[in-house]
Amino acid sequence: MKKDLRIGLLFAMPWILGFLIFLAYPVLASLYYSFTNFSILREPSYVGIDNYAELTSDTVFHQALINTLIYAVGAVPLSTVVAIGLAMLLNSKVKGMSYYRTIFFLPSLVPMVALGTLFLWIFNGDYGLLNEGIRAAGLEPPNWLGDPAWSKSTLMLISMWGCGQAMVIYLAGLQNVPVSLYEAADLDGAKLGRKIWNVTLPMLSPVILFNVVMGIIGALQVFAVPYVMFPGGAPARSTYFIASYLFDNAFQYQRMGYASAVGWVMFIITLLLTMLALKISDRHVHYETE
Amino acid sequence: MGQRKRIQIALTHVALILLSVVFLLPLLWMLSTSLKPIGETLTTPPKWIPSEVMWSNYPDAINYNSKQLGYIPFLVYMRNTVVVTILCIVGSVTSNALVAYSFSRLRWAGRDAFFGLTVATMMIPFPVLMVPTFTLFRYLGWVGSFKPLWVPAFFASAFSIFLLRQFFRTIPMELSEAAKLDGCSEFRIFTDIIVPLAKPALMVVALFTFMGSWNDFLGPLIYLVDQNTFTLALGLSAYQTQHGGTPWNLLMAATLLVILPILIVFFFAQKLFIQGIATSGFK
Amino acid sequence: MNWTSVGITGLAATLVIGAIVTGERVITRQDRTDRVTVIYWEKWTGSEGEEMRKVVDAFNASQDRIFVKYLSISGIDSKTRLAIAGGNPPDVAGIWGDQVVQFADAKALTDLTELSKVKGLDESYYIPAYWDGYVYKDKVWAMPSTPAAIALHARPDLLPPEAATPEKFPKTFEELDALVEKISVQGPNGSLKLAGFLPSNPGWWNWAWGYYFGGQLLTGDKVTIDTPENLRAFRWIAKYTKKFGSKEVQSFQGGFGNFASPQDPFMSGKVAAEQNGVWKANYINVYKPGLDWFAVPMPYPADRPDLKGRSNLSQDVLCIPRGAKNVKEAFEFISFVQKQEVMEGLCSAHGKNSPLAKVSEKFFDTHPNKYIRLFDQLARSPGAFNIPKVGVFPQISNEMNVAFQEVNSEQKTPERALADAQKRADIIWSTYQKQVLEK
Repeated sequence: MKKDLRIGLLFAMPWILGFLIFLAYPVLASLYYSFTNFSILREPSYVGIDNYAELTSDTVFHQALINTLIYAVGAVPLSTVVAIGLAMLLNSKVKGMSYYRTIFFLPSLVPMVALGTLFLWIFNGDYGLLNEGIRAAGLEPPNWLGDPAWSKSTLMLISMWGCGQAMVIYLAGLQNVPVSLYEAADLDGAKLGRKIWNVTLPMLSPVILFNVVMGIIGALQVFAVPYVMFPGGAPARSTYFIASYLFDNAFQYQRMGYASAVGWVMFIITLLLTMLALKISDRHVHYETE
Repeated sequence: MGQRKRIQIALTHVALILLSVVFLLPLLWMLSTSLKPIGETLTTPPKWIPSEVMWSNYPDAINYNSKQLGYIPFLVYMRNTVVVTILCIVGSVTSNALVAYSFSRLRWAGRDAFFGLTVATMMIPFPVLMVPTFTLFRYLGWVGSFKPLWVPAFFASAFSIFLLRQFFRTIPMELSEAAKLDGCSEFRIFTDIIVPLAKPALMVVALFTFMGSWNDFLGPLIYLVDQNTFTLALGLSAYQTQHGGTPWNLLMAATLLVILPILIVFFFAQKLFIQGIATSGFK
Repeated sequence: MNWTSVGITGLAATLVIGAIVTGERVITRQDRTDRVTVIYWEKWTGSEGEEMRKVVDAFNASQDRIFVKYLSISGIDSKTRLAIAGGNPPDVAGIWGDQVVQFADAKALTDLTELSKVKGLDESYYIPAYWDGYVYKDKVWAMPSTPAAIALHARPDLLPPEAATPEKFPKTFEELDALVEKISVQGPNGSLKLAGFLPSNPGWWNWAWGYYFGGQLLTGDKVTIDTPENLRAFRWIAKYTKKFGSKEVQSFQGGFGNFASPQDPFMSGKVAAEQNGVWKANYINVYKPGLDWFAVPMPYPADRPDLKGRSNLSQDVLCIPRGAKNVKEAFEFISFVQKQEVMEGLCSAHGKNSPLAKVSEKFFDTHPNKYIRLFDQLARSPGAFNIPKVGVFPQISNEMNVAFQEVNSEQKTPERALADAQKRADIIWSTYQKQVLEK
């Protein structure tokens, strides 16, 4: 037994060290920093719960928090539906699949920030490609970039371009669904919609759970694209998110202690939402018995 | 069958092609911009077809700033990126394989609890870790060197451990037990039996690491100081200027050159890639 | 093991070892050993960077002891901060004048008071309002590279004859409003075709509007945002939104092209007048050569003639980060840039005015901006102003931006927006005093 433990730990050693040095230490250190006044150019000095007290009355933080939650509630379901839809299309046996697969994955390979100008043009209220289409359909298009009521929707739509990674994971999950289940459904005369609802989605549910949890974590950290497209969270801070506020405090305003407190609130919210997702999923996720 | 099936296939193709257009937009835009003369890059409304196709943008992008610096920065960035990426891949594949082996095929007290904790760490937002990690590397005097970028790769990561563990568990235990009866050490079993069988999954880890480290922007931004140590992802930002004089055509040409290797690797490895993920499964 | 796998393993091992070895070699490479190397980080690339490089080359050729190495760095401010924190900063950094106080507060800069005194670079050598930007808490922290001033730019071809020259153009806000009323064009559905003037264009100095109405953001040691003067400015802004319609302004502005392109709203004739810096002429010369334009001072309220000739100044500066290895040599280079002929050459090439008290006639005569004398006068006028000297200015400026956007999109009344901005700024201010100033 003792020898097993020794060998087990020996093999796990890289991670035990990595866990201690690159996770446990930074997490605890940032907890400590969150109780200090600290910048990269000055030593930390203890200020008690001042930072957290300030957070409760900081209206900018509240706004960033609400923006982030709204974004997550919109972007996660949207990109989940899109990614599953794409994966199902890709899983149908038609010609040229490897090309389509590469094409759908492509945007997730491109550094999104390089595309800021492109998206600014697609969503431009006056001459943008999207609004040209909406006008052609005879509707009154919104001002995607300039109207605070629409700017977050713009970012949600943009997040769809980056769903390639999730799509690949769904695709892999779909390939694991036994063909016999579909054949059985065919024998019962089930239509396509029923097959998706009764066979595909239940079999895919563990993968969906995994991707949704990863999606929530990612959405709560949204930063790069809004940072490039909407400087300062314009219009009127409607695109200012927690990660933007954390970054600004740590690297623009030199308030790393405060930034650490923001980070911890972010961490706790991530934890709560993930637990909520797991709780809801308890009843709906279908695990294959081994 | 027959007709209905054919209609269904045709509809699938139509849907796929329409979606392809949407997903190709960003890339086509980059390609078109990379071939434009500078005056046409910011026109309103935008122009898709350049009045004159400027192939010279590509050599210009590679040579950008080289007169001023005395070396060709693009090639230097490329070399730096390759160095960091190779080290990251080697580190990540070896360390994660070892750890996943321990978590899946060795029995020791506290193993499952520790694995649970490991999976839970995936929830820690990166920004929380950013500040202390920086102070740590500063303390070690590593700021300005490549070490902060590749050393952590040798200490495994939760996501890859998770992925490999799922795969290792699908390999029958009987193989290990038979080898043990033949007098093989755990290390021999690992190198001679498990690693060869786990190639697809190791490929997936290598690919994810490759993509992550090739495109990493924040790490180089924080840790690299001198321009001749920049990686490609960071070097791209040197094409952008503060007062609006950004040569967008050169920037896009350079960006395309940067993502080209990933594109090629993905195109040829995708089957293995998806197979690797499929067999690991996310359960 | 077969030969192929041996080969692959060998190749991989070579690659890894090669990677480690070259990786470390890159880091430790030295440039020149015969001279003291001064590392100089600057934000400029392109033609602006090229001009600065010429200055560096001239300096390197002028003596044989110091070698300045010019590196253009994007995100210069955060990069410099990180490098200082990492203990490996450049010897000279070209940051923005707005950041001097912030950097000094963070103890990130070397005190240049003594060094500049020795070289005779003092108050009398510079235009007072610019000099003011180098001094904080009675110490000198930076020296200029190029400065700027702001004026109203107008297009005579879009103006009625009675306003189409610098002399006849409106002097007061009231006259400007009347002109805008007269020349702006809106389509039958309200959509804007031409705006005489838009406060939200280009939107780079939203914090400064109050200054043109006699207000200021910092009075003594208090942040003063919701004062009658600032409120008057924001009511004036709200009037424009109301006149054109908030939706119409938004969609009109959405169609503006980048300022560094012929589709810039001023160059493409969507606005007849706009507030902009001395550098605007450069962009016009590049993107719309031959365009007829003129510059005049910003307007003032009719009942406050004392506010005539106000101008918002800004500048690019050179500083020596704390922990720089070659401070003396770095300052040698900085003081070389301060020489009248060097400075005038650089400013002229960048299309900017000179920060020095003495300016040669040749500078004015050969300058690419035909209104350079106006910008020079504006910088020398008592109405010239800098950003308030507090380390939290970026945050306060953010609050003013938000207030501006709220008023401009009619989300809030000017009273409400400024009161809210004041509340948030008060918190920022008290934290700053508690955490930074008392130390």
